[in-house]
Amino acid sequence: MTSIIVHNLQKVFQTKRKAAGLSGSMRSLFKPEYSTVEAVRKISFQMETGELLGFIGPNGAGKSTTIKMLTGILHPSGGEASVLGFVPWKDRQKLAFQIGTVFGQRPQLWYHLPAMDTFTLFGKIYELDDSETKKRIDFLAEAFEIRDLLDVPVRKLSLGQRMRCEVAASLLHRPKLLLLDEPSIGLDVVAKQHIRDAIRRMNQEEGVGVLLTSHDAGDLEALCKRVIIVNHGQIVYEDKVSNLKRKFLTTKLVEVRYAKQVAKDFSVKGAKILKVGRYGVKLQFDSAQTPVDSVITRLSEMGDIMDITISDPPLEEVIAKIYEQVREGKQELT
Amino acid sequence: MNTLKFLFAIWKTNLQSAMEYRASFLTQVIGMMVNNFIYFAIWIIFFERFKDVRGWGVNDMYVTFGILASAFGIVSLFFGNAFMLSDVINKGRLDYYLSMPKPVLLHTVSSRMISSGMGDFAYGFVSYALSGYFTWDGLARFLLAMLLAATVFAAFLILTQSLAFWFGMMSNFSNLVLNAMLTFGIYPITLFDNYAKLILFTIIPAALMGAVPAEFIRAFTWQTLGQLLLGAFGFLTLAILLFRAGLRRYESGSAIQTEV
Repeated sequence: MTSIIVHNLQKVFQTKRKAAGLSGSMRSLFKPEYSTVEAVRKISFQMETGELLGFIGPNGAGKSTTIKMLTGILHPSGGEASVLGFVPWKDRQKLAFQIGTVFGQRPQLWYHLPAMDTFTLFGKIYELDDSETKKRIDFLAEAFEIRDLLDVPVRKLSLGQRMRCEVAASLLHRPKLLLLDEPSIGLDVVAKQHIRDAIRRMNQEEGVGVLLTSHDAGDLEALCKRVIIVNHGQIVYEDKVSNLKRKFLTTKLVEVRYAKQVAKDFSVKGAKILKVGRYGVKLQFDSAQTPVDSVITRLSEMGDIMDITISDPPLEEVIAKIYEQVREGKQELT
Repeated sequence: MNTLKFLFAIWKTNLQSAMEYRASFLTQVIGMMVNNFIYFAIWIIFFERFKDVRGWGVNDMYVTFGILASAFGIVSLFFGNAFMLSDVINKGRLDYYLSMPKPVLLHTVSSRMISSGMGDFAYGFVSYALSGYFTWDGLARFLLAMLLAATVFAAFLILTQSLAFWFGMMSNFSNLVLNAMLTFGIYPITLFDNYAKLILFTIIPAALMGAVPAEFIRAFTWQTLGQLLLGAFGFLTLAILLFRAGLRRYESGSAIQTEV
């Protein structure tokens, strides 16, 4: 079963352009100039029911615009889309009963009230019985570990706590499909892990399909089975996450800070040193060839570690690699 | 029925949110009542000096100001986001309402309560009670006229603020015409000639928020009721059509938003 079908979907925005300074403002007042920005360029893809699909790309790639068209928020400039059998921009209200949405930068919880009040309001908005709403809140409170947070005004929650409540609120009406736009933006590692665990659980237990946009490759590795990478409004790569990891996400970046000064002859077998400071080191290694634990062991032998961060290469780097392979004829642009 | 349940739930949540800050809530309500009393004192002084302006006395002003204040109060209390619609559109905050399974315009405008509206709403009743025109059937007409005048006012706000879909930031323009609406709404209608009256029934429908409902409250006539009904439904229809047309042009945005 297919839950999302997108064919040649396109979105064009008219953007006003103005030269810098007062003279530019004066010219723009009497003779405004506009340019056309193609945010989404005739993309086509499908998503199966219950699938965990990553839709990733750098900032400005067109991810959010695509999600907004798929939820009926934006009308497309061209192309077709069907989400759970509905045309989003024509059947917006009917579709909204079937999907849940979370926009990382657009909180839906009422800021001055405890999250419980928003949950209760959502129960009315989604036309649930009071007893059904209560049961569902109980379940989500346990699944997202937010029971103690529900009575605290949202303004007093940390970003990670708030995001857990946000995602839980979007699942109140048992949607078949969850569209998450940058749910982990600004979160620390622990908070990200909490959100990812809860989403995975809802996918496994309730079969909720998840379309996730992110510019964090870690979200993708942790959650998704399949990935679509977009750049400049176009799909540049579409494959299983396992293949992407094998081909492009092979390196890890490590930043370490020591309690004492770093030795001048600092080296780690199998890792390339990118930067050495007085107390810190930044290095890169191929995780397929050098196991993570061996690098960590070696780093801890070099001194007392105060802080350590392990991260994936930025998506821009992954996309650059994809383009590089396209140029070399090793990979086809999707 | 579901829409009514939804509206009551939204209004309840608005009230809860407003009451989170007790001092701010109470000072806004009481402050607005005091503000209205001070403003109206000028009219009392004026009519003590001149007694009558082309057939309008201070008692007529009490009714006119009363209906205008209550209608303004109703819109502020129950459809407070109508005052900020241009901002909601420009900052991409319609995203939230568009992702919900409810009529987007109704959901948007009803999602904010301006607490000071409670002061306006209550002041209107006091003003009517003091007018000397008070009767029980007059009170029933006051309630009906207040709802119809509030509809005209809300529709007028939606119409002007929805221009933001085409012209960007329209909140300053909207405030300008809103002030014109309130200023002309309180003036004795007998001051204006036919051309001016035409404007006050159409472009800036201040007459439908002040003079006509006041006339309807003082004495029932089918003509004034017809004018109010036609005005309310006509302007509401126009507002909904313009908003819907604008929605197709909505471009969202990336500003960070918060539901308060």
